[in-house]
Amino acid sequence: MSAAAEQSHATGTSVLDQVGDNIIHHVSNSSLEHPLIHLPHIFGIDISVTKHVFMLWVVAILVSCAVIIPVRKYLQKDKAIPSGWMNALEAVVKFIRDSIVQPNVGAKSVDLWAPMILTFFFFILFANGIGLLPIFEMLGSINRFIFHVPASDTHNVVNSLLHGGSTVTANFNVTAGLAVITFISIIIAGTKAHGFISHWKNLVPHGLAWPIYIILIPIEIIGMFVRPFALTMRLAANMTGGHIAILAILSFMAIFADMFHSVLAGVGMAFISVPMAVAINGLEIIVVLVQAYVFTLLSSVFIGMAINVHH
Amino acid sequence: MNENNDDYLARSFQYLQKIIKDSSPAASASYTLIGGVLIMGFLGYFLDNWLGTKPWLMLIGFLMGLFTGFYELAKTVWRK
Repeated sequence: MSAAAEQSHATGTSVLDQVGDNIIHHVSNSSLEHPLIHLPHIFGIDISVTKHVFMLWVVAILVSCAVIIPVRKYLQKDKAIPSGWMNALEAVVKFIRDSIVQPNVGAKSVDLWAPMILTFFFFILFANGIGLLPIFEMLGSINRFIFHVPASDTHNVVNSLLHGGSTVTANFNVTAGLAVITFISIIIAGTKAHGFISHWKNLVPHGLAWPIYIILIPIEIIGMFVRPFALTMRLAANMTGGHIAILAILSFMAIFADMFHSVLAGVGMAFISVPMAVAINGLEIIVVLVQAYVFTLLSSVFIGMAINVHH
Repeated sequence: MNENNDDYLARSFQYLQKIIKDSSPAASASYTLIGGVLIMGFLGYFLDNWLGTKPWLMLIGFLMGLFTGFYELAKTVWRK
């Protein structure tokens, strides 16, 4: 809603010129000119806290409160009967351990890799999910219309939180970080199972005619990098894409009102674009779950490929 | 009544789980295919700019990326 609301404030230039920038502004990280906390450069790297870093902290706190603390409390109890939230958690953990990790990694090393895969799943799920909630837009509207804080007040905390999107997993750097963990895990898993040199030998099938190796070795080496790259792109692009679609459809209201020079056209368009945006939001709920599932599934498939080598 | 509600909720969640499980091969296939093309294409493009051999390395990169993409796709989709 905020994209359309902000566009209606537009003065001077046409709405069409601003829609694209506005959408990008709502899905990308806050720019370095608007960090939440100014920090000095260290080794030439600006370590100021941007909105996505802040959201990473929020997700970390949420995961701790919703997963780690209940599990710790549950383990300290004498009677180990799960109830309520703990029951749901146990179902998810059991599903991931028994249906994702074990078939791929094998019964021998499932307890070694299940914690990492579960961490991936909960982190990605919470990060994806929190991006669907327009928390800061709500806070911003309350700030603007109830407390009458002008948008130009850059020292206001809520105003400074309005720059950038809130989905951390829509940031390629975050997903690349997760994919690097998978990449290193693949090497560690292969090394642990077969030894360092055999792991690299296992990348290609044994006992083929030598001309095939000339083609296969480069393809496998490229493939080694393609897998984490695909993980990075898939998650980030899927999380960005849905948000862009929702914002673009909501922007139709402002565009139509501008094109026909009447507020009525925008209001009329609302009857089409708001239900469509709601429908895409419903689809996004499935995408959030599917992408968290796919990332964990593929990570365990790749780790399993390094452990159980059969070509 | 309460039991029926629980049953309904459980069945809904099971169905959601089934949807997510069934859609995972399609969701995982897409970027596996283009990942190789993108990586190798960009690598070729930068090498071309550096060595001044436009556009040959980029084309070779695209081709190798295409091979790798299909190979990885086959491996991901046809795994046991």
